[in-house]
Amino acid sequence: MTLSYVPDGSPAHRLDPRSKLAVQVGFAAAAYAYTTPRGLAALTVVAVVCLRLAGGGPRSLWAYRFALPFLVAAPVVAGATLGAPWFRVDRAVETSLASYRVLLVFVVAAAYVRSTPVRDSRAAIQRTVPGRAGAFLGVGVALVFRFLPLLRRDLATAREAVAARGGDALPVRDRMRLVAVAGINRAFGRADRLGTALSARCFAWNPTLPPLAFGRVDALALGFGVGLAVVALATVV
Amino acid sequence: MIRASGVTCRYGARAGDRSDGAAGGDAPPDGGSATGIVAVDDVTLSIPDGEFLVVAGPNGSGKTTLVRTFNGLVRPDVGCVSVNGRRVEADLVAARAAVGMVFQDPRDQLVSATVGGDVAFGPENLGLARPEIDRRVREALAAVNMTGREDARIDALSGGERERVAIAGALAMEPDHLVCDEPFTGLDEPARRSVLDRLRALHRAGTSVVVVTHDLRDVCALADRVVALSDGRVAVDAPPEVAVTRLPALGVRVPDRYRPKP
Repeated sequence: MTLSYVPDGSPAHRLDPRSKLAVQVGFAAAAYAYTTPRGLAALTVVAVVCLRLAGGGPRSLWAYRFALPFLVAAPVVAGATLGAPWFRVDRAVETSLASYRVLLVFVVAAAYVRSTPVRDSRAAIQRTVPGRAGAFLGVGVALVFRFLPLLRRDLATAREAVAARGGDALPVRDRMRLVAVAGINRAFGRADRLGTALSARCFAWNPTLPPLAFGRVDALALGFGVGLAVVALATVV
Repeated sequence: MIRASGVTCRYGARAGDRSDGAAGGDAPPDGGSATGIVAVDDVTLSIPDGEFLVVAGPNGSGKTTLVRTFNGLVRPDVGCVSVNGRRVEADLVAARAAVGMVFQDPRDQLVSATVGGDVAFGPENLGLARPEIDRRVREALAAVNMTGREDARIDALSGGERERVAIAGALAMEPDHLVCDEPFTGLDEPARRSVLDRLRALHRAGTSVVVVTHDLRDVCALADRVVALSDGRVAVDAPPEVAVTRLPALGVRVPDRYRPKP
């Protein structure tokens, strides 16, 4: 399962991307405001519902597996001390909650990515943020989503190529160096070719954007996103 | 019509820059120095509307570099290229809309996650109205036998389908000329047939087609003319039945019946 749009007819697919962005922003704000187990439990329900509404499931989170070791290791590192008592549970618990919060944000992000074509995201950003800043952000988002899966595939290919010639017997450090060097080389080559392709296809900063339109259901989603943001702000003020 | 007059392209001194695959991004920024490797050397060529031209030659002969000057992806150090009577550099967008290009590896060219999104990419960049974009996408997909596949994911397509989407992406710009760089590389026989059928149909419909290849077997029967490059220079410019007798010596594969007896 890749980190990309999946055509589907789910309720989330029918929403305007701007509504979905509002839900994402509101959710992230709430997740950072309510870090208690109870708050995170409630947000877990919200995150799972968001993912289900986008037609996703646990497999949709597979693309985030590379972040999981860091999220798991963070509480251990946070709890460890250099002297007695060697491990502080309170710090580990606090960091665990923070890690879990990040995981929840990933779940909602996965729902967004799964249900929103990249060009619609670009359109949403360019319509929300006016001027050159919006165009720059929109193009940035479009290129990241286009480029990231290719980069991951290049790294996987480099790793397989190393393994195919017995490289998997090398120390981890050497393997990492080989894969990183090959990956970076390919990334630069890929960027060059992508740039050429964009030129050949008359790349424009302000193209005709896909039509976006708010529907009735968008009012619910927008209200929910704004509500989450307001609730999060209430804890700060 | 595409007209190249005395076109010379040089690349930096590194040996690897010469290859067809790498060509395109390393032209000297100062417009060319006397040093560096000559990829295309004083080529003069005209491609009339409606012609099916094959640009042949071995790897590193300058084929890709030459065709990339047709839409300004590579700027000649010497000479000039014009499309429909206008210098390419005078209006790059017009040149790129008039000369559709299909890259050697379609994965380098496909920039969206879905087929429909990718085919619409070019017309959207031209700033066309949405109904016009939708019409072009529909017709381009129909031209490559992919009607109704707008929502298909690019990464789920086979090699042949990707090639056809790349062609559709170029066709959606409604170009006068379609340039396909090694369009059969890595394709199995059914996929080659499918792409070949599409090119034949497009040519019959009046689009001029330029195919870059080092293997003439697939396109010999379709070609009106063959231009073969060797070390960046035009070594052969002749109808296919004449050209095939001279191409094997340049390292270009030709149909078996034309192959010289050992």
